[in-house]
Amino acid sequence: MTSALRLVAVNLLGVVEHPALGGSPYRVDRDGRSYVPTGDGGIVLGLELGDPAFGLVADHAAPGACLVHPDPASRHALASYACIGNQARVRTGQAAGARGVVLGKRGEEGRVIVGLGQADLARLRPGDEVAVRACGQGLRPPGLRPDVTVMNVDPGLLALLPVDLGGGREAAVSAGVRLTAPSRLAGNGIGRPAVSWDLDLQLPQPGEDGVGEVRIGDLVAVDDIDARYNMGYRRGWVTVGVVVHGASPLPGHGPGITPILTGPAGALRPVPDAAGHAGLTAAAMVQLQ
Amino acid sequence: MKAATNAGRLVRQVLSGEVWPALADRHAYRVGPDGQPFLLPGMGGVTLGVHCADPATGYASDHLEPGASIRHRDPAANMALQFLTCVGNQVRVAGGPAAGALGHVIGQHAYVLVDFPETAAANLASGDPVTVVASGQGLALPDHPAITVKNCDPDLLARMPGGTRPDGRLEVHVAARVPAEAIGAGAGMASEYANTDLMGAYQGLGEDLSLGLEGLRIGDIVALHDADHRYGRGYRPGYLTIGVISTGQCMLFGHGPGPSTLLSGPSEAFLLVDDPDANLASWLHPGEST
Repeated sequence: MTSALRLVAVNLLGVVEHPALGGSPYRVDRDGRSYVPTGDGGIVLGLELGDPAFGLVADHAAPGACLVHPDPASRHALASYACIGNQARVRTGQAAGARGVVLGKRGEEGRVIVGLGQADLARLRPGDEVAVRACGQGLRPPGLRPDVTVMNVDPGLLALLPVDLGGGREAAVSAGVRLTAPSRLAGNGIGRPAVSWDLDLQLPQPGEDGVGEVRIGDLVAVDDIDARYNMGYRRGWVTVGVVVHGASPLPGHGPGITPILTGPAGALRPVPDAAGHAGLTAAAMVQLQ
Repeated sequence: MKAATNAGRLVRQVLSGEVWPALADRHAYRVGPDGQPFLLPGMGGVTLGVHCADPATGYASDHLEPGASIRHRDPAANMALQFLTCVGNQVRVAGGPAAGALGHVIGQHAYVLVDFPETAAANLASGDPVTVVASGQGLALPDHPAITVKNCDPDLLARMPGGTRPDGRLEVHVAARVPAEAIGAGAGMASEYANTDLMGAYQGLGEDLSLGLEGLRIGDIVALHDADHRYGRGYRPGYLTIGVISTGQCMLFGHGPGPSTLLSGPSEAFLLVDDPDANLASWLHPGEST
């Protein structure tokens, strides 16, 4: 895969998910308390890019609609090929014709998170069909230094993120991030393929003064994680991802990132800005839509 | 002093399962840390030649499951088998050429993993039925209320060295201590199911992948620092989890030799004693010829 090879786009069919529970409504949180998970998949209203990841009583809530596919293999393909920034269009139901953008992905069986306007989301119904114009896997921006890997992004997305590709073999790629987390906070998603899973970060609850707050759409870096293939520990590496869903009461879970950049720490340089960071924004999404 | 338990109030339940075949798909290859494709045996079926006290790593293998890998055909019955079976539970082969052979559960890995003597394992094959006498979930230590016990046969706990110290802490002998950076796949899952893969034990691969865990042995009792497994597997500073290494060599990145959970609680509730003999082989399989 080099920049000389052209990317292809594929139209994939996603179906708006209905949340699913087992025979018991309860899950058990990290302190041993039972809770009923809300917002875990399906259509979540009122949560948008820029909102705090810890702001809701919810479990893995994602901003918008989660897309799945009834066939497991098709669902994995949907989650693997869709990239952040890809266009999505509602094909059926009351919201038919509405335009949205892929905001992220979630792992396990595979989910694609599509951001839509709140009015369109309110008209959407589980089972509605959404087409995703999937494009981006295999992307290697021209001039990108060879030891940095890009994944899970639409070809038009990087220009809209606080990412500087450096323009040469020597200059580091830099990425503005909200914070850098140590690898010991990496939870669910470790050991899984970075092209189709998110990586949950077991971040502490932010203080009342907002210190440690992470927002949906933020870029976040994780030290010592190599995400070129499966995600795992590699000393001296760094991975940068987009926060695509909110916190979870479950042990081992937390706000999840869809990885977009990974490389040796000297080649990929996160630039944290706890107060002023802006990652994936609604304005950027409008440009891609 | 041995720690007091509620073992007298636990029930034993007879469960069944069968040796489950190794599984593959037509694409064959999985991917290692540097993208290297590999196809290696070790998961499912009956893996021969590796037993408790043998090195966990150093094999041309992936997700090495020592001995027999057991499941139940019915999905819900299988979850009961996986959740209720505990480390140290006795397993009897219920049919086939190895009928009558006895083994012990050494952990879970989405299969129940059973170490049999090599002579018995050599006569086992996929589909052979086994009977598990499950006991251990619900085991508690009344004098150590902060510590949660899981997946642990009461008889195994009684055989393990250590116990209640005069200062009230629980003494546990461990063969290795594991930093939180090593926790790989399995984080976020129920601690009664499968195990916690440890990264940093990729023998023969790069130094930048090492966390010094290449010396682990199958059956080792290990301490996981900053791990809280009371209600699932998560990171929590100041907590400690004791597990037993039930799986070995992995090539798949983010995976590795894995402990099944036995004990979890605040670090101050434990007194760890470094002891290279802290291995299931010292208590479950004494004198077995392999």
